Amino acid sequence: MTLKVYADRMSQPSRAIIIFCKVNGIDFEEVRIDLVKRQHRSPEFIEINPMGQVPAIVDGRYKLFESHAILSYLSCAFPGVPDHWYPADLFTRAKIQSILDWHHSNLRRGTATFVLNRALGPALGLPLNPQAANEAEKILRASLSKIESLWLKGNAKFLLGNFRPSIADLSLVCEIMQLEVVDEKDRDRILGPHPKILQWIDNVKSATSPHFEEVHGILYKVKARLLGRLTSAKPNDTSLSMKPNPKL
Amino acid sequence: MTLKVYGHRLSQPSRAIIIFCKVNGIDFEEVTIDFTTGKHRLPDFKEINPMAEVPAIVHGDLKLFESHAILCYLASAFPGVPDHWYPADIVSRAKIQSILDWHHSNLRRGALNYCINSALGPVRSLPLNPQAAIEDEKILSASLSKLESVWLKGDAKFLLGNFQPSVADLSLACEIMQLEVVDEKDRERILRPHPKILEWIDNVKSATSPHFEEVHEHLQEVKARIAFLKSA
Repeated sequence: MTLKVYADRMSQPSRAIIIFCKVNGIDFEEVRIDLVKRQHRSPEFIEINPMGQVPAIVDGRYKLFESHAILSYLSCAFPGVPDHWYPADLFTRAKIQSILDWHHSNLRRGTATFVLNRALGPALGLPLNPQAANEAEKILRASLSKIESLWLKGNAKFLLGNFRPSIADLSLVCEIMQLEVVDEKDRDRILGPHPKILQWIDNVKSATSPHFEEVHGILYKVKARLLGRLTSAKPNDTSLSMKPNPKL
Repeated sequence: MTLKVYGHRLSQPSRAIIIFCKVNGIDFEEVTIDFTTGKHRLPDFKEINPMAEVPAIVHGDLKLFESHAILCYLASAFPGVPDHWYPADIVSRAKIQSILDWHHSNLRRGALNYCINSALGPVRSLPLNPQAAIEDEKILSASLSKLESVWLKGDAKFLLGNFQPSVADLSLACEIMQLEVVDEKDRERILRPHPKILEWIDNVKSATSPHFEEVHEHLQEVKARIAFLKSA
């Protein structure tokens, strides 16, 4: 039975999983759950993930949510996945886990809240909130500094000085990419002081090419739409719409 | 290789690690880092954990922070630890990981901030913030409801209907125990609608007895301190 990945490419953790599967040749069906249309609150999707959030997967009869749990599971469940994504060595694995855990309340919290309150809110029926955006920006900037000083020391190509990416690299970089939808001057102000971060993003992009750019294509369309420069909106070409419930 | 656990019994994730080690007979040295007086920001401790937070461990050459990473590491690194804590089966393990991940932005966020804003602030040299506590309580209550409806269905003894506790049970139960320090009527209001949660905490307590109660005794001291600061 094919793996199903329930995702919206506007969701940072959804992108991480889609890219991971494509890079590792994992056969899967991408089921689009459109957050703007509130499909994540539909009864059919709540059956899949009672938390009503993307991403989620179904592998046979087994359902799973939370992107880090999903990424670690996929790394272990599909034998062809190279060890560097989620190493078997206990010490290395624990350090990657540590970054993934830290991420929730730091980079994720800062970036997601900033982008929502600065740009994306209205698309999801929420007001922009400049004060919340300012508070979130502090957390975001502190997080970027921590990443550089702790995990990208010296000439580190990937987190922890690894020569190849782990699921932590993929998860965190997909998060930072969300900044593509905010105003260019905001993005430059936030990322400008962090050349190592920019280099590291490029490294992750190269290591997962061409899938990284392809999956992130949606951000550029959304950005253009937000700025009112896109004249004709196109649906995401490579995603599949959620199949209608035959019982309805 | 000696294991050193840097923690403080006021810190929910520190307690989870200390209890885990004691229950599993893991030999360790407990090093208390008093973050209420800023000791977590001293250079010596930042050497151990540059994030300057407890808990952290040192095990041989490994320095590690983030309690979930620590719990999973200890469960794997010490061969005597029974499988139910962090099962080798990848499907069971992933479900436990899912709970641990969910915890950060939900139960942890709600409970931690609620306790600080409604009671613990002064002990940590932070102001109380009753307005923020109202918002925190919403996140906390919603998280308790989700816990019950998703992971403690039916007669479930432990999360996911397991018959024995996992690291997720320990981590989340220690978090909820922090409510011991808030006003009794607030604690009642928050927990009374959740009899399954109360029973589940009792189950975790029994499964890790006597260590769970012993490690949580510190909260009674903190409660007394809060009362003293209030009256001063």
